[in-house]
Amino acid sequence: MAYVIAQPCIDVKDRACIDECPVDCIYEGPRKLYIHPDECVDCGACEPVCPVEAVFYDEDVPAEWSGYRTADAEIFELLGSSGGAAGTGPLETDHPVVAASPAGQLQT
Amino acid sequence: MTDTQTAPTPAPAPLSLVPAAQARQSAKDFKSDQEVRWCPGCGDYAVLAAVQGFMPTLGLARENIVFVSGIGCSSRFPYYMNTYGMHSIHGRAPAIATGLATSRQDLSVWVVTGDGDALSIGGNHLIHALRRNVNLKILLFNNRIYGLTKGQYSPTSETGKLTKSSPMGSLEAPFNPVSLALGAEASFVARTVDSDRKHLTDVLQQAALHPGTALVEIYQNCNIFNDGAFEVLKDRDQAAEAVIRLEHGQPIRFGTDHHKGVVRDPATGDLHVVEAAGNEDRILTHDAHATHPTTAFALSRLADPDTLHHTPIGVFRSIQRPVYDTQMTHQLDTATQQHGPGDLTTLLTGNDTWTVAG
Repeated sequence: MAYVIAQPCIDVKDRACIDECPVDCIYEGPRKLYIHPDECVDCGACEPVCPVEAVFYDEDVPAEWSGYRTADAEIFELLGSSGGAAGTGPLETDHPVVAASPAGQLQT
Repeated sequence: MTDTQTAPTPAPAPLSLVPAAQARQSAKDFKSDQEVRWCPGCGDYAVLAAVQGFMPTLGLARENIVFVSGIGCSSRFPYYMNTYGMHSIHGRAPAIATGLATSRQDLSVWVVTGDGDALSIGGNHLIHALRRNVNLKILLFNNRIYGLTKGQYSPTSETGKLTKSSPMGSLEAPFNPVSLALGAEASFVARTVDSDRKHLTDVLQQAALHPGTALVEIYQNCNIFNDGAFEVLKDRDQAAEAVIRLEHGQPIRFGTDHHKGVVRDPATGDLHVVEAAGNEDRILTHDAHATHPTTAFALSRLADPDTLHHTPIGVFRSIQRPVYDTQMTHQLDTATQQHGPGDLTTLLTGNDTWTVAG
């Protein structure tokens, strides 16, 4: 299993976690960042640097955001393991649970 | 010539004496129930994930795999592998693993160590394991710092390094682990990087299948006490010009569009980096199986010690030579044939004793 990024990231995408990740496994979607479960090594570097506390070990995702336990894994089922976010570039679409989410903490 | 001096017995195919797994394995099978306790962001996590992901490809019974470690951050590794393991004595993992590998050929024996554990406290044990060519696979996590004890300079720290134990700069010249291993007669020497999972896995695979001692130096980031030590080798913009990927049988070229290459100076024998254009016929082809370690050693000295530019990664050397465990087993079999199976009780209660004067 791996760390996942839950609802608070939506429309925020601070990207501090991307700078911190040692294996380049955090990908950027249109509205949220996603952790690739096969590339994540469970080091936990992303979790404390998130300013909106959106990163959780998947077993620790609060019940209210339980849909996000599997969202990150599901978005990569089509993409597979690409070998790094920087080389892949942004994802074209969001996971349905993210796309259907109301506007998050939009920066003004 | 007596029987005990006959030509060395050829080593059995690597891992052929280790029982196969009964069922298909996955990385999850190699994860233990222990909570992993390294600092968040530590390179050790990446190595652990790569090893757990690679182990199923060997198809070996988990109860016939052993990870032996010494002391240090990396030496927590055996706790997290769902195999047998031993968190042993500082620097002595190669010695303990030597005993295990020589007496139990049905085991796949791995040593996990760090730059302090392997090269300072256990330097003696490391070089003799390499010299003997015991059937061990040694993973040397090199972060160029003492991490567990909170940031003192290590045997691989660069000269002048400012640490808590060297406030005016380290006065010591660092070891180059690949050069050291080649000098210690190692039959397999490789270097890889913690965050390059594909390369790390490929090198581990080759090491696992090597008969004899394999030393794999893994450049590992300590993000707390020596963060970014290998950043130039990882950064997408810089890595192409900094890293030389060695592949057996391939020309040693690197850089964007492979515009640089490695050539030998005919006058001195030293290796140099040149522009590939116009020098195509001079560029060396990497031969990991070369009998003499001369070129492998020269490659190990190619990197600029300050900037790490021109750092080769991959397998420097992989040669076949007699394996200690195989030869020792042969000697024991020969002795049994000549003198019978022996009797320990008779030996202990016998008359072959002597008195120490005084």
